[in-house]
Amino acid sequence: MSKFETVIGLEVHVQLKTKTKIFCSCSTEFQSPPNTNICPICSGYPGVLPVFNQRALELAIRVCLALRCRINNRIYFERKNYFYPDLPKGYQISQYKMPLGENGFLEVSSGKKIRINRVHLEEDAGKSVHKNKYSLVDFNRTGIPLLEIVSEPDIATPVEAADYLSCLKMILQYIGASDCDMEKGLLRCDANISLKQTEDKVLGTRVELKNMNTFKGVRDALGYEAARQEKVLERREKVYQETRLWDGNKGATAVMRTKEEACDYRYFPEPDLLDFFVPQEFIEKAEMYVKELPLEKKKRFIEEYKLIDSEVDVIISNIWLAEFFESVVKVYSKPKEISNWIIGPFLEQVNNLASDFNLVKISAQNFAKIIKYFSQGKLNNITAKRALSLVITTDEDADEVIEKEGLRQVSGEDELSGFVEEVIVANPKPASDYLEGKLSAIMFLVGQVMKKTRGKANPKVVRTILERRLKNEK
Amino acid sequence: MKDLFNLTGVEIAKAIKNGDLKEEAVYSSFKARIDKIDSSLNSFVQTYEKPVKSEGESRLSGVPIAVKDNICVKGKAITCSSKILSSHIAVYDATVVKKLKQAGLQIIGTTNMDEFAFGSSTENSCYGATKNPWDYTKVPGGSSGGSAAAVGARLAPFALGSDTGGSIRQPACFCGVVGFKPTYGRVSRYGLVAFASSLDQIGPITTNFVDCAYLLNIICGADDFDSTSSRISTGDFTKELNDDIENIKIGVPRQYFSEGLMLPVKEAVEEAINTFRKKKAKIIEIDLPHTEYAVAVYYIIASSEASSNLQRFDGIKYGVRQNAASLKEVYTHSRQQGFGEEAKRRIFLGTHSLSSGYYDAYYVKALKVRRLIKQDFDKAFSEVDVILTPTSPTPAFGMGAKSQDPLSMYLSDIYTISANLAGAPAVSFPCGFTKDNLPIGVQLIGKEFDEATLIRLGFSYQNCTEFHKRIPNI
Repeated sequence: MSKFETVIGLEVHVQLKTKTKIFCSCSTEFQSPPNTNICPICSGYPGVLPVFNQRALELAIRVCLALRCRINNRIYFERKNYFYPDLPKGYQISQYKMPLGENGFLEVSSGKKIRINRVHLEEDAGKSVHKNKYSLVDFNRTGIPLLEIVSEPDIATPVEAADYLSCLKMILQYIGASDCDMEKGLLRCDANISLKQTEDKVLGTRVELKNMNTFKGVRDALGYEAARQEKVLERREKVYQETRLWDGNKGATAVMRTKEEACDYRYFPEPDLLDFFVPQEFIEKAEMYVKELPLEKKKRFIEEYKLIDSEVDVIISNIWLAEFFESVVKVYSKPKEISNWIIGPFLEQVNNLASDFNLVKISAQNFAKIIKYFSQGKLNNITAKRALSLVITTDEDADEVIEKEGLRQVSGEDELSGFVEEVIVANPKPASDYLEGKLSAIMFLVGQVMKKTRGKANPKVVRTILERRLKNEK
Repeated sequence: MKDLFNLTGVEIAKAIKNGDLKEEAVYSSFKARIDKIDSSLNSFVQTYEKPVKSEGESRLSGVPIAVKDNICVKGKAITCSSKILSSHIAVYDATVVKKLKQAGLQIIGTTNMDEFAFGSSTENSCYGATKNPWDYTKVPGGSSGGSAAAVGARLAPFALGSDTGGSIRQPACFCGVVGFKPTYGRVSRYGLVAFASSLDQIGPITTNFVDCAYLLNIICGADDFDSTSSRISTGDFTKELNDDIENIKIGVPRQYFSEGLMLPVKEAVEEAINTFRKKKAKIIEIDLPHTEYAVAVYYIIASSEASSNLQRFDGIKYGVRQNAASLKEVYTHSRQQGFGEEAKRRIFLGTHSLSSGYYDAYYVKALKVRRLIKQDFDKAFSEVDVILTPTSPTPAFGMGAKSQDPLSMYLSDIYTISANLAGAPAVSFPCGFTKDNLPIGVQLIGKEFDEATLIRLGFSYQNCTEFHKRIPNI
């Protein structure tokens, strides 16, 4: 067994889920053509000034509360000065002396609490693309709101680091702060790693790792680096304080810059933005999102509603959805049915609305009505979905819509036998096929009746009538 | 009717409205005058063949106006009199330019300045020095020397300048015109190329207080694009064009009348005090004990902010790029060749003040003393309504007299700097002439957001004096 302990701290950058950038009104849309989501402000033209997007603050506060941080009410930004082509102002507006949140923690799967040192807001830089003889810069990303979340060096293994990231991701998605898609660069992670002998009080020299683009990359890079440092120490050599880049293809890290090359960023208060205090209502609003965090909620849902793991994961993937589920349960206490409807038809229709829950207006009562009518047989699978689609963005009363659109399922044999007659007459071939033993032909005939009744017929009843009618004929 | 060039802006606007003058003819007359006189005066960087204007109505409609070359006029060159920006075209209108257009003024061109507003003589310009219209061997002051000289020589009825430590008032003083620096936050800085963000303010340079009040009405007001702009109502400054100044309390700080103040200046300013006394204003001696630190504090804060604000001039996106083998060399060559001596000096000074190890001793200390200076003003303004001082210890000095001695150049702003540090409004206007016929200026400093009292006092003063009516012989 190794005589060394691994000590890991993570620095995570997440893009906050705002529609516009942090200091201008440009879109934050991903994968727009290069340099199309830009304006004089985010591309740093002479004379422009930043105006802070309050939405970014709202989301950032949710994160701070979810990570149980102390919030510094006085907000002020500082400038981090350095030259790079993808940093058009020559400085990044960030928070330094007074981060938005401090001294929090994140509970990982094992129940261990990883302490959070700080959470602060800043703007993203652009993206440099290096070609053979020249470089290109895309400023679309410049000015997208970022939250930097820095943990204490409490993480003991590469696996725990990956778990920390997935727990963090689950929380951020749940509270609607970020989509955390690592492939899109919505979540980026740097790591500090050092080794020390178990009995040592002080930490060893740390190395900063960059360029790990997946959770697996984080795990592998840390694993590689721990082994590398161990070898160095076992040779009784020194680990140098440096920044190393992970190369996923080679499965190895290599030096990017040494400590001597570190830059003096000359932080000072951003004079273009005035200090202000976080409005109390921002905090109150954010608190609603973090009363119960995903892990707690998941446990409760499984116990209370007897749902299975995978169902709960879908329902609590979004806080609005989880709350909607519970409010429907309150008026119609069949959690399993509701869960089926939410995971199935409901989310399918929300998908058609570009997954924008803001567009969903249906009330819990109204949704419950539709599920209930379905289970009572008043609506069939088709008409129930149709009713849902008609009221999902309007919340028009389901009863009225069912009435108006004539969606109520027709189960009366008297009403249906006429349609059955017509279908048999019009389709002699399938009818005779059925009689000759090709039993599946009946489904075609059922379908024809459904079509004639515009989906309203109760398919079970139709089938019964058809079977009886055809057999009698025989 | 008087000669066109002897009319005030308001008089020109009236004549246009009455049909006595044609807007186009006014423009071409001023343009012709510039073409004739400015080849030797050198107050303009560029004039526009066709005026920049749009449909809009105000009491100043049709009047030509010049703007300092650090204010963005969309589609026109903006260079801040710097080589590094010599190829730059503004891609948007500054908020003040939008307002001028909406008010129907005709923008006639941009005026020369010390590079990036670094200077007190308009000698630090890549276009060569501007001369003083009263004596071509003297400097016009700076950094808005082009605007002040142009208005002094009646090449434009009025102009906009910017004032960071006296850059409107000191040249106005040297050129015998009215230069007004509004309260910090009164006029949007959006579109003003930043020198020192916490000190910069745009303001009018006019020949008289009537034009000044009308112009302030147009350019003042809150702006969503400038977070530091104030929501405090501006009111109507033309209501202050009123001769009643009885019982207004004018404070005279003893620290401003000590060593370094030239005798003719002292005498003229004391005469101005007498004039106010005769009009029944109350004269009260006051103390501003931290005055002696103002210059030092200013050069640390202003240079620190400037060093960061100028980071964006890196030759990458706009301005002049020097191609070189490495990125670092592109930066160093572009900046070495693009910036003038004074700009480099300020960048060094500011970079040093912000660098780690010096930050607390310089920048943080300067901020503390800035607060003390502000407290001096707050205390004084609990006793008086305005403060009266000389604008500059000397009248216009000789070309080249101080350009080799930055420190003595910096000291020529000794009376104007404090108002910027305190954020207070201040104005300089002519109160006499030396025996060599050089203008002498007096300064009034007001309470924050009380431009009104300054206008009232200035108007009242000009009602009973003739200094502002003198025109240089050119």
